Amino acid sequence: MGPLAPNEIISENTNFLFAFFIGIAFGWVLESSGFSSSRKLAGIFYGYDAVVLKVFFTAALTAMLGMLFMSMFGWLDLDLVYVNPTYLTSAIAGGVVMGVGFIMGGFCPGTSFCGAAIGKIDAMVFVGGLFIGVYGFAFTYGWWEKLYLARYLGEPKISETLGISDGLFGLLMILAALGMFVVAEWAEKKFAREEY
Amino acid sequence: MKQLKLLALIIIPLGIIIAAMPADKVKHSRLTPDELLQEAGAGVQFISPDVVADMLVRKDPSLKLIDVRTPEEFESFSLPGAINVPLSNLLSDEYSDQLNQDAYMNVFYSNGSVYANQAWMITRQLGYENNFVLEGGLNYWFGNILSPATPSQTSPDEEFARYDFRKSAAAALGGGGVVSTDAAAPAPKAVKPPVTAKAKKKPSGGC
Repeated sequence: MGPLAPNEIISENTNFLFAFFIGIAFGWVLESSGFSSSRKLAGIFYGYDAVVLKVFFTAALTAMLGMLFMSMFGWLDLDLVYVNPTYLTSAIAGGVVMGVGFIMGGFCPGTSFCGAAIGKIDAMVFVGGLFIGVYGFAFTYGWWEKLYLARYLGEPKISETLGISDGLFGLLMILAALGMFVVAEWAEKKFAREEY
Repeated sequence: MKQLKLLALIIIPLGIIIAAMPADKVKHSRLTPDELLQEAGAGVQFISPDVVADMLVRKDPSLKLIDVRTPEEFESFSLPGAINVPLSNLLSDEYSDQLNQDAYMNVFYSNGSVYANQAWMITRQLGYENNFVLEGGLNYWFGNILSPATPSQTSPDEEFARYDFRKSAAAALGGGGVVSTDAAAPAPKAVKPPVTAKAKKKPSGGC
């Protein structure tokens, strides 16, 4: 049955319509979780607020369990679900750039739009920087192309690389996430700040 | 901390359930175009008419012949025990149980092998297994199984063995319209007992 768009149960345009509504819901959840505050977001790097880790890992776990169970019930064919292709070098380089930008600017791309939407000037500046980066990369693509396409690994899944089932990896992921939540709560108490 | 415990209480059991599921149950994939092309190219779907004839003669219960021609054609001639699933109705719910199953060996046939092959392609793309195509279709069946050409004197033994098999299979399957050349075949069978009685006498007298 699923995924709906690749199986042509819904058209590409309907798919975009769904994406539109899901996007709005996502933005709303981000905002109401406090993700429009750069101080709250940056807290993950200093330990005083781990909401980023908690929200994103809870979302990942929910999506993961949902997909694994739907696949188990025969509702979803996981082999047809889009997996980002891995270009190892650019993934590492991009991760470093994104991480540094996150610490410096206090936003990640999605949350910066969230902040800009409620009128935060720092978020708007961040969005401006984002566009400079995107266009800058696009116009100078020739310089980066080699680095960008280096060490292509296809679409590996960690479970396949480790040779374990998707389900077992799911369980390990849940345990790892819960471990991180415990550490995060401990850090929040240890590095607590009065006001931010 | 209380919320964390509640979360753990919910998701750890879910994780255990999903981890305990056999991996092949979690994954059931449709074929990618590449895989389908590879299978079709290798001809894994084809099943030799001799195998089908043998199964028919032995009345193998696992064999299920599926005629993908039109109902009119099916009415005028069909292989023994075949059911009619016209190609145009292949996807109707009525037949999905019969096409998507793992109990029988479904063998599609049509006059040639084009329509049967199309039926196989479609069902294979849907992820159904145990569907095959009768190689050569009914045309080959008529020309070679029901009226096998007598091998030449210099043919290898296997060819004679195949000829003998096809002749006896044709006799057992009722020959169709081409029996004329084998008209004698059913008759000797009936007369065989007296013949053997005579044969017994022959050696005793001749020697």
